[in-house]
Amino acid sequence: MAQPLVKKDDDRDEEAEYSPFTGIEKGAVLQEARVFNDPQLDPRRCSQVITKLLYLLNQGETFTKIEATEVFFAVTKLFQSRDIGLRRMVYLIIKELSPSADEVIIVTSSLMKDMNSKTDMYRANAIRVLCRITDGTLLTQIERYLKQAIVDKNPVVASAALVSGIHLLQTNPEIVKRWSNEVQEAVQSRAALVQFHALALLHQIRQNDRLAVSKLVTSLTRGTVRSPLAQCLLIRYTSQVIRESGLNTQTGDRPFYDYLEGCLRHKAEMVIFEAARAITELSGVTSRELTPAITVLQLFLSSSKPVLRFAAIRTLNKVAMTHPMAVTNCNIDMESLISDQNRSIATLAITTLLKTGNESSVDRLMKQITNFMSDIADEFKIVVVEAIRSLCLKFPLKYRTLMNFLSNILREEGGFEYKKAIVDSIVILIRDIPDAKESGLFHLCEFIEDCEFTYLSTQILHFLGNEGPKTSDPSKYIRYIYNRVILENATVRASAVSTLAKFGAMVDFLKPRIFVLLRRCLFDSDDEVRDRATLYLNMLGGGDDSVDGTDKDVKDFLFGSLDVPLVNLETSLKNYEPSEEPFDIDSVPREFKSQALAEKKAPGKKPTGLGAPPSGPTSTIDAYEKMLSSIPEFSSFGNLIKSSEPVELTEAETEYAVNVVKHIYDGHVVFQYNCTNTIPEQLLENVTVIVDASEAEEFSEVSSKLLRSLPYDSPKQTFVAFEKPAGVPAVGKFSNMLKFIVKEVDPSTGEAEEDGVEDEYQLEDLEVVAADYMLKVGVSNFRNAWESMGPDCERVDEYGLGARESLAEAVSAVVNILGMQPCEGTEVVPSNSRSHTCLLSGVFMGNVKVLVRLSFGIDGPKQVAMKLAVRSEDQTVSDIIHEIIASG
Amino acid sequence: MLLAVLFFNLEGNILVERFHGVPAEERLHWRTFLVKLGSDNLKGAKNEELFVASHKSVYIVYSVLGDVCIYVVGKDEYDELALAEVIFVITSCVKDVCGKPPTERLFLDKYGKICLCLDEIVWKGILENTDKDRIRRLIRLKPPADI
Repeated sequence: MAQPLVKKDDDRDEEAEYSPFTGIEKGAVLQEARVFNDPQLDPRRCSQVITKLLYLLNQGETFTKIEATEVFFAVTKLFQSRDIGLRRMVYLIIKELSPSADEVIIVTSSLMKDMNSKTDMYRANAIRVLCRITDGTLLTQIERYLKQAIVDKNPVVASAALVSGIHLLQTNPEIVKRWSNEVQEAVQSRAALVQFHALALLHQIRQNDRLAVSKLVTSLTRGTVRSPLAQCLLIRYTSQVIRESGLNTQTGDRPFYDYLEGCLRHKAEMVIFEAARAITELSGVTSRELTPAITVLQLFLSSSKPVLRFAAIRTLNKVAMTHPMAVTNCNIDMESLISDQNRSIATLAITTLLKTGNESSVDRLMKQITNFMSDIADEFKIVVVEAIRSLCLKFPLKYRTLMNFLSNILREEGGFEYKKAIVDSIVILIRDIPDAKESGLFHLCEFIEDCEFTYLSTQILHFLGNEGPKTSDPSKYIRYIYNRVILENATVRASAVSTLAKFGAMVDFLKPRIFVLLRRCLFDSDDEVRDRATLYLNMLGGGDDSVDGTDKDVKDFLFGSLDVPLVNLETSLKNYEPSEEPFDIDSVPREFKSQALAEKKAPGKKPTGLGAPPSGPTSTIDAYEKMLSSIPEFSSFGNLIKSSEPVELTEAETEYAVNVVKHIYDGHVVFQYNCTNTIPEQLLENVTVIVDASEAEEFSEVSSKLLRSLPYDSPKQTFVAFEKPAGVPAVGKFSNMLKFIVKEVDPSTGEAEEDGVEDEYQLEDLEVVAADYMLKVGVSNFRNAWESMGPDCERVDEYGLGARESLAEAVSAVVNILGMQPCEGTEVVPSNSRSHTCLLSGVFMGNVKVLVRLSFGIDGPKQVAMKLAVRSEDQTVSDIIHEIIASG
Repeated sequence: MLLAVLFFNLEGNILVERFHGVPAEERLHWRTFLVKLGSDNLKGAKNEELFVASHKSVYIVYSVLGDVCIYVVGKDEYDELALAEVIFVITSCVKDVCGKPPTERLFLDKYGKICLCLDEIVWKGILENTDKDRIRRLIRLKPPADI
């Protein structure tokens, strides 16, 4: 017994002393790679050097172009060796080095030789390497071999060719599509993995052909599928077919449902889950259809494998969003998961329970959650807080328990995001549940007594100023607010002063006491705090220089919202140069846009998988305005009111890609044509767009700006400007023709020929519609805005929208036609709902505020009806909105 | 898509890192995120015990084997169940090559073989082979035994 123990210790000592890669250095390894050039190759040594190169690459080390080329050329020498182990390493390192197109040629003949080798394994690997490094021209040369390989009797060779096909389909689709007969044959293979790869490739080849996919699914669901992975794919494709085909109208049965249900009894867990998910995601799924899926998921909740528990609870969590009642049977199992070691599982269990629980179980659930909250990370806590918020909105009578829970966790330790989520939830509950107001405000007051986050303190003070004065006993909040003036930093103190002023303006009997407090603030050490105190004192009539404002003016000033986006205001203020002319807030653009100025370039640069956090919205209207005002022809047009999103005027993948942005001014419209030349062998010069405005009577062309030169793949703009009656939302249709001189470019030198040929290219038509005069401007509280607008200029009418794909599709179509800002998240339609209300707001040309309330309903044959109620400050604008819908 | 396969030692240093379709600028973010995930959860974990998490629309299955932590990251069809399958093949192959759950030293000694195994298992984000016996033969350029 003693012997092995001692040996083990010896091992340990040695390990601690030496690692094969200790002190490894790129330069030294590259030197070592010279052994590849030795006339007498030492396979063992060469393999070691390749391993070192792989280690470097796997550590994120990169080689310069020259280094990579040198190593690659040296590696190609190793094809001379007959050592099998070394050959396998050579295949790998060539793929890792991914040589450039002009170097590949060195190695293709060796690889082609291997690809025709009698040794299967050489064939498989050569295919993998060739497909990794090949380009279109080489591919046509080897296509014949690849087609043979797909139906090779050796599954490794067939899989290699099929997986290559999946990758090549991205770059050379037209070639791979020619292989569908062979791939079809491979789908019937007896080798499980070959079938899996073949099925994936065949579906990708045919994905745009509904009938073919449907046939594929029909034949395979009846036949045998050997690998569980392939079975999962088949289930996925089956759901796609179900989605596209809808219910069988005669029997009311859903096609393929029996197949999915059968898969619930498969022996592979992966397949069971895939089928269960497919069933739960069926559109308009009935509870009879759901039950078997939920039952198997319930069994997995108590599995010993964490992955299965996670998969089950994740699926149930999704189901609970749309069919909470279907999941209630699993409540007991889910409750036991609250104590699961894996916190992801526990959090999913909690949030699912919060959705499925009934009113009577809320108290018990909250007790369990309280214990759970202390030992999970902030990001999980935020998910729980959000779930509790929804629960409270669902069961308003339970607000006491839930509000208490929120206030308790607010007092505990936590980061900013977490605290913000709690505060946001309390604020929402106060807004939506009137009974919760007083206790909610009180909890917030307690929180700011000991709050370390300036941002949250100021937010709460602002909210308190709006809501506090309307409560039964406003005086009790004053102490908390004034404490901030004594105890906090300048930012919070300034907020507190504003809040005090709001109480003073709204509550007459508090006014004298507020004056006393504000006067004390006049001696504050901070400028902003003193300025605010002086301003408010004078405004409310408690100062020495009191201004004569009506009560309404004061309240408008204190409570009115800033109706320009803050980002735009900031930019305008930065651009303002001190002069005699005072800064005019009306000159600030009102549109809040989130699309970046960067116009769409040629396709192919798809966003990548992991989804880095999206960058914040940027104001593009400023960038547009700056650009347009720098063009002399347009500088006299005044303020830019709105710029549209780019509208494509060419189809994808044409020679010239053109889209247009419509810039709207009071008396003018400028079309900005963003042009991209996608042909490397051409240079375009003197590019203009000839616009025919015969179907746009109110518009007349005043100027245009041509584009001198448009080289390959660098988007540039040409402009055309029109005059139109000032202040009128004129509409019309414009046809467009791209006109240019085209010159041939020598691809090797990049130089263009002297002489060019004049040419034209027809573009799609373009329309200026009423929605182009609408600014997307949101309101924070739609109900308040709607009430205060009043029914004076209201117009209500009903419309039939005909048969639509779904309610969500109808809602989004109407929102797009109107070009208005959806409010309070009402543009999202819960799946399976039969009716929906969507709230929109905007500002129409001439600074007229518009609010729209859309009520949709959908019936059995998917006929959608809509009631449109418009309120605005001007009857004609309300009528225009109805005209947009009537004509759209 | 199988977005990444990573091996770390117990201190969180990279041993092998293979990304597929993840832009270079996002890699550091993922590395840090995974190391933190491991240090929060893998302490005291048993060999090959599976852990699972999701981050945005991406799934992560991870595990510890000897002195090495293994992470696989995927999205869409590579959900937690498919990833569990992938990590199972990877761990069996590593054990097979090393003869036991490896120490860091042993892992580095067998580095070349492990790279070859990974090359047979995942090819540019697609799962290619799932059978360790077949993989053991393939890395020596021997045809699979079952044909």
